[in-house]
Amino acid sequence: MSSADPEHREEEEAPAVGDDEDTGAHVAPIVKLEEVAVTTGEEDEDAILDLKSKLYRFDKDGNQWKERGAGTVKFLKHKATGKVRLLMRQSKTLKICANHLILPTMSVQEHAGNEKSCVWHARDFADGELKDELFCIRFPSIENCKSFMETFQEVAESQKAEDEKESADAAGLIEKLSVEEKADAEKKDEEKSEDKTVEKESASGKESKAVEDKKAEEPASSA
Amino acid sequence: MALPNQQTVDYPSFKLVIVGDGGTGKTTFVKRHLTGEFEKKYEPTIGVEVHPLDFFTNCGKIRFYCWDTAGQEKFGGLRDGYYIHGQCAIIMFDVTARLTYKNVPTWHRDLCRVCENIPIVLCGNKVDVKNRQVKAKQVTFHRKKNLQYYEISAKSNYNFEKPFLYLARKLAGDPNLHFVESPALAPPEVLIDLAAQQQHEAELLAAASQPLPDDDDESFE
Repeated sequence: MSSADPEHREEEEAPAVGDDEDTGAHVAPIVKLEEVAVTTGEEDEDAILDLKSKLYRFDKDGNQWKERGAGTVKFLKHKATGKVRLLMRQSKTLKICANHLILPTMSVQEHAGNEKSCVWHARDFADGELKDELFCIRFPSIENCKSFMETFQEVAESQKAEDEKESADAAGLIEKLSVEEKADAEKKDEEKSEDKTVEKESASGKESKAVEDKKAEEPASSA
Repeated sequence: MALPNQQTVDYPSFKLVIVGDGGTGKTTFVKRHLTGEFEKKYEPTIGVEVHPLDFFTNCGKIRFYCWDTAGQEKFGGLRDGYYIHGQCAIIMFDVTARLTYKNVPTWHRDLCRVCENIPIVLCGNKVDVKNRQVKAKQVTFHRKKNLQYYEISAKSNYNFEKPFLYLARKLAGDPNLHFVESPALAPPEVLIDLAAQQQHEAELLAAASQPLPDDDDESFE
């Protein structure tokens, strides 16, 4: 439809006119709907990748790839937990095509017949229940496909690092680190309060003598 | 609003009747929405197949019960009996087959005998095909009968959401109603089974060599 064919140009023009116009009859509405707050489920996440793509799932019974949807794929990193999931939404209807975590054991590989496509396995939660799926995703360009694969691998490896942290916690190492971090935090708090005290005193000119005394004391304490 | 043999849900739902000649793409269109798949093979629908189709809007969740009817006369079953209590409708024709547009008035007449004053969308399907027989300019029936008209392609997804959005707006009496993101629930933690993982990797290797179902040069919208 993107060709220079004048017939096609005509076709593209006609729908634009038709779309804006409502030629339908006036019918009495049969429901009264109130506007509601929209919850996307992505509110606590940052998008680290956002690309147009087309998703397929492998149909084992038919031994063939089937389209799942065309739209936008995102890697979303949770602001608190740091976990990353892949979320793909279909264009226009904004329905979910894929929704699964990126786990340390996961990897993505090229599709054998298409250099703009890659494949992976996931336990998908798109329909609200966990389902084993083999996915293939296709991009408009080779560069976008590479970008997706690189980000996928980076995320999987970073999740591995986080998992190792979590397993170290069982040995008590995290506990020690958190104790040290607390101590550091406390020191910082003390320093901050001292700074405030100094600032307060310097704000009042009447106590200039006291400030001078403090300054004299500082070299001694630092030594 | 609950119809016979229809499961009830706690959000608004509507019976949508889909009619039109056989082979115009009624079932393919519904399936595209249900699973994302584009079904190339033509299998005539026998009688009717009812599929619930949910959308999230800025006014909450809604459901269309899609009554995908037989287009071929010999598989018509109860024929217009399927139209009873229809609250909205789609009449589908194929822009590459002139006869399917010529038959639109008959579908409209039969539909309106049973369903009075419901919103109806006329859809000209397969506009992705180069050599179309019915040009956009030639489609005029909708103006005579006060239907809405959309050129669509179930294959390329061109305008594929428009019929549902139009009908939803009419049924709610809200021209500003629009589709919003379906809520994406956080996926639960999964335990990794090494044996299962090896099997998946083997399956993935085999699947990676299977061709994709559609052409690579299709546009990305």
